[in-house]
Amino acid sequence: MEETKYNFDVVRWFAVMAVVYLVVGTLVGTYIASELAWPVLNFDIAEITFGRLRPLHTNAVIFAFGGCTLFATGFYSVQRTGSTSLWSPKMAWFTFWGWNLIIVAAVITLPLGITQSKEYAELEWPIDLAIAVVWLSFGLNFIMTVAKRKTSHIYVSNWFFMGMFVMITYLHVVNSLAIPVSLFKSYSLFSGVQDAMIQWWWGHNAVGFYLTAGFLGIMYYFVPKQANRPVFSYRLSVLHFWALMFGYVWLGAHHLQYTALPDWTGSLGAAVSLAMIIPSWGGAINGMMTLSGAWDKLRTDYILRFMIMSLAFYAMSTFEGPVMSSKTVNALSHYTDWTVGHVHSGALGWVAMVSAGALYHLVEKLWNTKMYSAKLVNVHFWTSTIGTVVYITAMWVSGIMQGLMWRDYDEFGTLTYTFAESVAAMHPYYAMRAIGGMIFWTGGAIMLFNVIMTIRQASAQRSSSAAAATA
Amino acid sequence: MSSLREYFQTNWAAMTLHDWIGLILTVGAFLAMVWIYSYVFNPKNKERLESQRNIPFDEENTDSEK
Repeated sequence: MEETKYNFDVVRWFAVMAVVYLVVGTLVGTYIASELAWPVLNFDIAEITFGRLRPLHTNAVIFAFGGCTLFATGFYSVQRTGSTSLWSPKMAWFTFWGWNLIIVAAVITLPLGITQSKEYAELEWPIDLAIAVVWLSFGLNFIMTVAKRKTSHIYVSNWFFMGMFVMITYLHVVNSLAIPVSLFKSYSLFSGVQDAMIQWWWGHNAVGFYLTAGFLGIMYYFVPKQANRPVFSYRLSVLHFWALMFGYVWLGAHHLQYTALPDWTGSLGAAVSLAMIIPSWGGAINGMMTLSGAWDKLRTDYILRFMIMSLAFYAMSTFEGPVMSSKTVNALSHYTDWTVGHVHSGALGWVAMVSAGALYHLVEKLWNTKMYSAKLVNVHFWTSTIGTVVYITAMWVSGIMQGLMWRDYDEFGTLTYTFAESVAAMHPYYAMRAIGGMIFWTGGAIMLFNVIMTIRQASAQRSSSAAAATA
Repeated sequence: MSSLREYFQTNWAAMTLHDWIGLILTVGAFLAMVWIYSYVFNPKNKERLESQRNIPFDEENTDSEK
């Protein structure tokens, strides 16, 4: 059989940069969490205040870390599952440099306050255009690689990656429609409640198609590979895919309950959100049951632990989200820290942990070696798990307390607590959140060290093998 | 029954082009989902679909890069 020549150089670079951005993005997150607990950390410098650094944090973790992880795993698994090389390695390098330049642009503009003020889409119009071009280069390369595959069937992980690509292209273009008035200032094409609807149609689908569909693509390839067992049910994965694609686009309106949006729109968003529990749990069970009959692997395989724990968080947050979207619960939870806790149970517990598992798997495969320290992988696993639990527990307590304080009124019908009193009551939980973030960040830093040492170890092994061969 | 009929009452004459496009897409998506469920759970398709589980393990046995 003719040997396939894979293009893994660009995958290596994306993988390493993903780990770097994990550390940087969570460091910024930990800092701004600390600012909320101890405002003195603002130092009266506008560029490092919460308002400026928060979008930098979200962009760094979602698009820098998440993006590089998706590109690394996508370009890797599409070659492996199709037994073919990339359609255009040069275009893959264009994606790499383009994406990293966009990240640099974000690092410069966001602290300077150059923003469209649209959540998860803050970057100004020239950068939005660059995102569209680079994103299309990834999508085109991916789809053309699928087209030249040597297998007859397109494996399900590739469906998820392509679904993500199609939907995010559509969402990014529509949500970013704006009238530029200068090089660094533009105004959205939409206004009022339409703007809010478009914003949350994008906002929730960035979660649904980028942070869920894309990372499910990772799950469907890397969990079976790490467990060395095929996925539990392929039929369930097909249903998971189509239900996700048809269902997710309806959910955004649940972010706008009790607003100027028509009441039925929020109800529809909540109803479809609840219906989405079925495919989401189907997918989570499918991933976990892949280990059926081989649960003992979790004792020794720390990389697999990351993946299975991430699926537990995926199941938990895809149950919590629909519950929060229902009007009864939303009346208490909306605008509180409960939402922040929910997002982070998905972001830290699901996205970051499945990514860490996949990246460890990739590093071992790409450098053809074992991790420098398996113990450090285990330490990273526990710091991630404990850090996430501390973070989300703090936000649950803080959020429910906020909701209850805000709506409590006395026998005369006046509010029992002032807003400032509710802020003061949050202090211990904000400190606890910052500590949870620090624990999580420590795990990322350990991962970066372990990855660097693994690459150095692999280079040393190659050099000594080459020397032995020459001798 | 009359209240149910009232609940689902629709002024068809007032439907705009956008309403019709939305209605057709929504019902179309619903029917497509029904078709996918019946296709996936049809016992005739079980073997064909489940055989694809092994694709990640069918790849050529090489870690070589270039």
